[in-house]
Amino acid sequence: MTSRTLLQEILSEGGLTVVFQPIMEIDKEKFSIFAMEALSRGPKGSNAERADVMFEYVRRKGKESDVDRACAAAVFKASEALPAGCAISLNVHAATLERDRDWPEFLADVCGRHGLPLNRLILEIVEQQKYTDPERFFQAVDRLRRAGVRVALDDIGLGYSNYRMLIELHPDFFKIDRYFVTGSSQKPNARAAIESIVLLADRLGAQVIAEGIETEEDLNTVRQLGIRMAQGYYLAPPASILNTKQNNQDA
Amino acid sequence: MVWHSCAGQVASRLRCVAPMMSITHPQYRMLVVEDESTALAALKKYFSKQGYRVEYARELEEAEAMIITAKYDVVIADLRLSWSYAVEGLEILRFVRQHSRGTKVVILSAYGTPEIQRSARALGAEAFLQKPTPLPEIADAVKQLLEHA
Repeated sequence: MTSRTLLQEILSEGGLTVVFQPIMEIDKEKFSIFAMEALSRGPKGSNAERADVMFEYVRRKGKESDVDRACAAAVFKASEALPAGCAISLNVHAATLERDRDWPEFLADVCGRHGLPLNRLILEIVEQQKYTDPERFFQAVDRLRRAGVRVALDDIGLGYSNYRMLIELHPDFFKIDRYFVTGSSQKPNARAAIESIVLLADRLGAQVIAEGIETEEDLNTVRQLGIRMAQGYYLAPPASILNTKQNNQDA
Repeated sequence: MVWHSCAGQVASRLRCVAPMMSITHPQYRMLVVEDESTALAALKKYFSKQGYRVEYARELEEAEAMIITAKYDVVIADLRLSWSYAVEGLEILRFVRQHSRGTKVVILSAYGTPEIQRSARALGAEAFLQKPTPLPEIADAVKQLLEHA
């Protein structure tokens, strides 16, 4: 008997689950939810339940676009239970924007079906590999921007999320990777890197989101460096929509 | 190095140098790559009972994703993971050598031609065992490799 491949399990009905992690906006001592980042997880009990394994597997299969579409559909369905007006941050592979010609139309269609205005959407571009057709990539981003979608670049400072990408993509949000943020109070070199990213964002008219806030010290450090948006276990761990709703009610 | 095409001879030689596995060893992390459900279940169950932390993959790309996101002490890989004449086990071996320094690799195969064995040796496999090899013999080979790491 031939069992289903992991890809078939991921793409099957109910194969993906979605959790949300808030991106917090900090104004003096007041914290508020700026957006909810949607994080997709593969089938329960499979290796793809670990997001890093799932996306590495999907990249190796060359099926980023199929899985990004399935993730988007699952995310927008789950997002119906979020408070109206809450921005949603959705991860997408750069390869999908480059290779899937109909991605902007697909996104508009699926958002429309779930009553989600595109201006509530932040597209978080995960840049794991060098693009081969930059023209198509930037055309797709432009079309989405014209429709009201905002753009964040993930993993700033690592891999292909480099200066060239920042200049060419001109994202609305820079997401600084946890590599720099977690434990930064004890790492002068990491703080220097964060400082330079904040300065660059300011010059390019972007806002900075610090990922990987795990302690009060991490939070204090990024605030001292001028960052007003942050995300991490110290602020709020990823949670299913039911838990997210309960936490919002309790707050 | 454990290089055998005759499981019986392997077993008798290995038993001389490797007593039965006890569960007092450090908990080694093992990845079993096998597409055949019965064999996979047997390997998982046996090595878990031996005290290993056993994870699994059924496909080449799944195995690669696991290897790149975690560090394994040992990978046991079936040579052939699909119906075709592919030799994914050698691909996994090559991948481990590129991305996971120090990880031991045991290749299991029912199709172990001398040419394939030579390729595995050239790529740096620590052991090549013919299927069917009894589980205790595979365990002895793994133990020997890990103890001499």
